[in-house]
Amino acid sequence: MIGVIFGVIVPYIAVAIFVVGVVYRIVNWANSPVPLKIPTTGGQQRSLPFIKRTVYDRFDSPYTWWETAGRMLLEIFLFRSLLKNTRYYLDRVSQKDARWLWLFGILFHYSLLLVLIRHSRFFLEPVPSFVEMLSEIESFKGVFIPSVYISGLAIVAALFLLWFRRIFLSRERTLSLPSDHFALILLLAITISGNLMRYFFKADLFAVKELLMSLMSFNIGHAVEVAETIEPIFYVHFALASFLLAYFPFSKLMHAGGVLFSPTRNMPNDNRARRHVNPWDPADVPLLAKGITVAGRTYKSKKLDWETYYEMYTDQLQEIEEANYKIVPEEL
Amino acid sequence: MEEMPEKIEIRQKFPSWREMLKPVKEFEEGRLSYLSLPKQVDSEFFKMPFGDVERDFDDLKLPENWKEIFLEALKETLEKNRSFKLFMDICVRCGACADKCHYYIGTGDPKNMPVARAELIRSIYRRYFTPAGKLFGEWAGARELTEDVLKELYYYFNQCSLCRRCSLFCPYGIDTAEIVWWVRRILSRIGLNQRFMTISIEASSRTGNHLGLLPGGMYGAIQQGLEELKDYTGFDLHTYINKKGADVLFVAPSADYFATPHWYVMLGYLLLFNELEEKYGLTITWSTYASEGGNFGTFHSYEAAQLLNSKIYKEAERLGVSFIIGGECGHMWRDKHQFINTMNQPPKHEEWKKFWEDPDLGELAEGLRGVRFDSYASGEHGWIHILEFVAALLEHKKITVDKSRNDKWIATYHDPCNVARGMGLIEEPRYVLRNVMNHFYDMPEHTIKDKTYCCGAGGGMLADEIMDLRMRGVMPRMMAVRHVYRKYGVNILLTPCAIDKAQFPPALEYWKIPIEVGGPMEMVGNALVMTAFGEKPEDRQFDLRGEPLREEEGEEGE
Repeated sequence: MIGVIFGVIVPYIAVAIFVVGVVYRIVNWANSPVPLKIPTTGGQQRSLPFIKRTVYDRFDSPYTWWETAGRMLLEIFLFRSLLKNTRYYLDRVSQKDARWLWLFGILFHYSLLLVLIRHSRFFLEPVPSFVEMLSEIESFKGVFIPSVYISGLAIVAALFLLWFRRIFLSRERTLSLPSDHFALILLLAITISGNLMRYFFKADLFAVKELLMSLMSFNIGHAVEVAETIEPIFYVHFALASFLLAYFPFSKLMHAGGVLFSPTRNMPNDNRARRHVNPWDPADVPLLAKGITVAGRTYKSKKLDWETYYEMYTDQLQEIEEANYKIVPEEL
Repeated sequence: MEEMPEKIEIRQKFPSWREMLKPVKEFEEGRLSYLSLPKQVDSEFFKMPFGDVERDFDDLKLPENWKEIFLEALKETLEKNRSFKLFMDICVRCGACADKCHYYIGTGDPKNMPVARAELIRSIYRRYFTPAGKLFGEWAGARELTEDVLKELYYYFNQCSLCRRCSLFCPYGIDTAEIVWWVRRILSRIGLNQRFMTISIEASSRTGNHLGLLPGGMYGAIQQGLEELKDYTGFDLHTYINKKGADVLFVAPSADYFATPHWYVMLGYLLLFNELEEKYGLTITWSTYASEGGNFGTFHSYEAAQLLNSKIYKEAERLGVSFIIGGECGHMWRDKHQFINTMNQPPKHEEWKKFWEDPDLGELAEGLRGVRFDSYASGEHGWIHILEFVAALLEHKKITVDKSRNDKWIATYHDPCNVARGMGLIEEPRYVLRNVMNHFYDMPEHTIKDKTYCCGAGGGMLADEIMDLRMRGVMPRMMAVRHVYRKYGVNILLTPCAIDKAQFPPALEYWKIPIEVGGPMEMVGNALVMTAFGEKPEDRQFDLRGEPLREEEGEEGE
């Protein structure tokens, strides 16, 4: 029974929630209007030809599509903004580079990437050669028997380090919500159970692969059959991972998709060359002059156009006219 | 200056996450801004919802259905704005932004961390707009919207200067300025506006500038500048105002017409314009209608910003100018770089279109041929920063400068936040300063350029009643200034920002750093040799402050 529930039903539901949830969130973000072009510029703008820009300026204050794409790629693959991190020391009124968070973050995310790539061997037949190769490289094949995958251990270490930040640093402890701890604990549970299964309580991996392959080809009858034969330790790992998938779209883990949409990063700093159009404002008459409606009442500000202005201050403006629009020092 | 805190003690507190969700009940003296009065927000020219009631922080006199209105406005904001929605969703609370905020560093108040500031509204968003928040309440970091929470929102969302330093360090580019801006807009929908910014918004919507200066007043102010220049230089100078058919419209922040040390910058502009007209025939006009470069609406809401910046393109069209030059101001350049041509239709008149087809100043004044701006600007926008303009003139050797006239100054340069992080104008001012003065030193790398610290008074935080907050917020900047003051003997802090120029004099006094404040254009004005008027480099006797350029031997010797 455990096999059917956690091997067939739960994963299907989880994947369905994951796919629908993530697609919904992303489509929802993508469909929201972007009223203003507001890149955060982290370097010299494109300017007069003799004002030189370094390669950093090009990525931090991008002007072209390519530079913007470069900024995004560096952000996604190198966490560039985190790499700039500093720490302010109140007692010394000074600040120092502080790249620990960056290091832990990179360690976690790249380990996760490697772990996921390695797991693709359970979904793909034949196993792509690069997956084999990566696994062999990171385990220093032949040094330990059985092979010890560095990424599998590194990810646990990184998660602990990230969690310790939230537990032992006072500022981070103040900021952390239960959901922040929860995400880390969940990931820790998944990775630790995975490692335990690999090194201590072995599961029948051929059966696991058969299960996943039949789940993927919707061969449910066969999946149910295989599921019943797999050891319970596998279902600990598998159920937690399913839960993570289902939790993903509702949580801050969506930052994985959200980072692509951030208007302060993915827009070029070319406001003066190309006009950005606000989809909900035709920009003809100021919105306040058209009036804003709140709780059924419309509040309309009078528009100060030149004619109104002239009418209000005619005398003074006429004096300026009489002076022929020229200001000269008063003769004393 | 009134109500300067005598001694600042920074008490850091680290409450539990539960404590953080509870609204604060005690509001520190000197950090709470006044609420707007009806004359500011129920004016004919700036009418805000429920603005007709005089409010007190103890008695907010909220409209009956304020909660519905608030949530409706929050919903609208989420639907209208991808950045706001995204920033509500994707924060992972990594804490990278926490000690990047000058207000957090200065106050130690945990809710002044940018992430915590955003959490104030995020918790409400979760409660009413996400399944997790609806289901798990507090455990999902969600909380009810109550009047106490509302007070807290007003308190903390008016302790942010929209400097965007946190957004630079955020791995997802979450921009607190964006969040604060839209939340202030939501608060304005139930009648809660901050007084300081609405005074200026109202004045600007009625008169064209924040100071509420009428055409005659502005005329008189500029005239006085010309008189002073006559005393200092001996030349009969002039300038134009509201002049149709001029080549360029010049727009400065209105503080430049009166305040000190803005005034010296104003004199710098006037010298430059006269030299250019006399030498090349380029005419530059001021305008009483478009007399404000700054835009306090950018602190308040999209709509208020648009109300104020809608005048300038219209004026450019009416006067028939070819392009616009903007003066020294910080948030003005976020508005004029990122907002103005989205919020308004750029001018479409003949002169404008013709100039931007081939934007060479030679088309306007033959002698200036070769100075072009099309490597980054176009007729869809049409604004050039005065320091970009001067940098181009210097590079093409169109103006003559005598660096030695600024020899008594040892300068450092403060990058205004919005100019650095909302525009990317970083090297141009330094290029200008290196060309007009001999002694220029930058502050430590962590505190300048894109990482520049705010002056602690931007974003509507220049109000006198929050002096405590201002003096705390400016602390990181002041420590950097003190560093170069001790190391290089810096004696002037230059900044192309009107709010900085108003904030730094009291701040320097408070933090006991005995140096002056000025703007780059003052240094340009000092160094500019008025060749068209027959001036020789050694002729000038006085600087723009009316003090002798060169110290006499023996006098003030040591």
